[in-house]
Amino acid sequence: MANLNIRNKQERTYQAIVVGSGASGGWAAKEFADLGVKTLLLERGRNVEHIKDYPTTNMLPYEFKHRGKLPQKVLDENPIVSKCYAFGEDSEHFFAKDAEQPYIQEKPFDWIKGYQVGGKSLLWARQVQRWSDYDFEGPARDGFAVDWPIRYKDIAPWYSHVEKFAGVSGNLDGLDTLPDGEFLPGYDLNIVEKHFAQKLKETYGGDRHMISARCAHIHEPRPEFTAQGRASCQNRNLCQRGCPFGGYFSSNSSTIPWALKSGNVTLRPDSVVHSVIYDEEKGKATGVRVIDAHTKEVEEFYADVIFINAAAINSNAILMNSTSARFPNGLGNDSGVLGKYFAFHNYRAQVNGSYEGFMEYTTSGGRPTSGYIPRFRNVKKQETDFLRGYAGGFSAYRGGGYVADARVGMDLKNSMLNKTPPDGPWRVGSHMMGETIPKESNYIALDKDKLDPYGLPTLKFNVSYDDNDEKMILDYQEQVSEMFEKAGFTDIRVNDDHRTPGLDIHEMGGVRMGKDPKTSMLNGNHQLHAVPNVYVTDGASMTSTSTQNPTLTYMAFAARAAHHAVSQSKKV
Amino acid sequence: MNRRIALRHLALISGGLALIPSCDFSSDDILAAYENLKVTASQKQLLGDISNIIIPAGELKGALELEVPDFILVMVNDCMTSDNQALFSTGLAAFPEFVKTISGKKYDKLSTKEKEDLIQTGIELKSEDTPEGEKDKAISYFLNTTKRLTMQGYMASEYIQTEIIPYSLIPGPYNGATLISETQKPRIDG
Repeated sequence: MANLNIRNKQERTYQAIVVGSGASGGWAAKEFADLGVKTLLLERGRNVEHIKDYPTTNMLPYEFKHRGKLPQKVLDENPIVSKCYAFGEDSEHFFAKDAEQPYIQEKPFDWIKGYQVGGKSLLWARQVQRWSDYDFEGPARDGFAVDWPIRYKDIAPWYSHVEKFAGVSGNLDGLDTLPDGEFLPGYDLNIVEKHFAQKLKETYGGDRHMISARCAHIHEPRPEFTAQGRASCQNRNLCQRGCPFGGYFSSNSSTIPWALKSGNVTLRPDSVVHSVIYDEEKGKATGVRVIDAHTKEVEEFYADVIFINAAAINSNAILMNSTSARFPNGLGNDSGVLGKYFAFHNYRAQVNGSYEGFMEYTTSGGRPTSGYIPRFRNVKKQETDFLRGYAGGFSAYRGGGYVADARVGMDLKNSMLNKTPPDGPWRVGSHMMGETIPKESNYIALDKDKLDPYGLPTLKFNVSYDDNDEKMILDYQEQVSEMFEKAGFTDIRVNDDHRTPGLDIHEMGGVRMGKDPKTSMLNGNHQLHAVPNVYVTDGASMTSTSTQNPTLTYMAFAARAAHHAVSQSKKV
Repeated sequence: MNRRIALRHLALISGGLALIPSCDFSSDDILAAYENLKVTASQKQLLGDISNIIIPAGELKGALELEVPDFILVMVNDCMTSDNQALFSTGLAAFPEFVKTISGKKYDKLSTKEKEDLIQTGIELKSEDTPEGEKDKAISYFLNTTKRLTMQGYMASEYIQTEIIPYSLIPGPYNGATLISETQKPRIDG
């Protein structure tokens, strides 16, 4: 703890501090910027400036030394992050390597991290489905976790606020399970996907649907995107490299440059937050302790309001490491639930098949999204022997290509140079996105005896699937197989890839919201019950998980909470 | 306009400077591969010839002219487990004897047609669970790996992706009901 106060305290004092520059932290910073709040935006990783720091974005396949494949040495040194589908020769520089932050797996958990300005918003799958009250009311209706202190009406205007600025493409589907929003024109489903959607409607009396998934891509130019320096998505499907067009939403292309342009926000990369400083006399948080990622020196920064948006797991860790006489078990942890009721999404199961129709058709060009099956199980009432349900991804595609088993020589050469038209059937596939039930026994905690390379306590994970998840996998496989059969698909195969929790990269909870300070960490405004000038608005704040890809909800939470914080300061 | 220049322009229009680096192999990578895999001069020549049998020169360039053998060795050196590297090297070393056993001749005495037949035979070789089978397994692994990497190195080469079948980073808008009959391209004669 040397060199604490080299610089004048005033120089290190802001009105707000935001910890983390990913999707939710970027939104908090952007809202504070627009509201005229002097803000320090802290990021543990290096700076990544839009376009300038996307070294692979316009590389052609032959310009990659290993044509996209990662060297064996990288895979051997990184057994965890190597499991992530997006970790490749074109994107590895945007993933934190395993050695950066070792952790203890009391039960197996794959923790995928993006430590740079923009965080994982550079790498996300960009699927943005709204929650409905069927989701927010889940815990209260079904008797698990605690009741959410908010409902759809509280968050709906903030979904709209975020969608308009981020750019969300989708169709107005009119489904009560997946509310419509402020959409740019949606992307097309292909001929087989439309057929599937139609068959579901006919077969299930309007209870099951397959729609074009809403995605955070600009599908139509608008002045508000031009003002951010962003252009329309070019369907490159190279998003994990960073997009030179700003075609998809990331903090780097959108909220951060916007916030910096205002002059109200100071971005400080390479700043690993150690803990939140709690002042016993004032009864509130006064700042954060920061470890310089390079020099390892500790410095303090101060503000009236602290936003913790370090991504779910690290937001938990920061609060756990913020101990004081008043809060010996972690900041705001009077209830003892900090780190507990940790949950995720169950992505284990898939169903695949073939379709022999529309044989004269194929697809051409690219699109940044695919099909989505909103949750249909246990929506209006409990109807199965497991709680809650699952959404599904869906897509259909036509094979084709060269004949790899052609005889070596000119036969092989000509077969590669002249793609054969597709002659096999269409292939169809779905994957599950299941809600998991937050439980006290699924938790993360700190091991204060083992320190990481920054001298911070090591995280340990005790998170696993349960019987409810196993039943849900079987039901997904059974129901989707039946839906495939009704649509005339054949050669239907189900799979369970037994992936470890964490690989969904939808970790949630540990700092859950709730009405009662005895059983939750945050109130309905995302403030710590016991320390109201500290807000947590990322995945850590989730009371339950539902089935939707969660990032849109964190962004809306962050924007809503930033406005709340400013309204509170005006009251004083 | 050259496509890469066009792309650079697009990136500039969208609001910033896009770096378009070139990433050719440095001779260091190639030398490291030869050294680590202990490839002799004659083996290097043999690998070059095999790759050029797999994808020969014709109307268009062949694998050897595109330096595909260097690509193969760098991939084997960088992107394979040590077990698979050993299997590849064993297969490469055992190949001349395999040639003699099958054809009764030395490799460089064979005609192009005979070489093709021989490599095709090796690719399809089924190995049995015997000491001889172990050798067959290595031959088959070596030839299948060489074939796969030759195809990859050839198709994902600057020559093919700029001059023959230009690669586009921007595939155009999606059409989910494209008639296959309308996607037929003029035949390329290799």
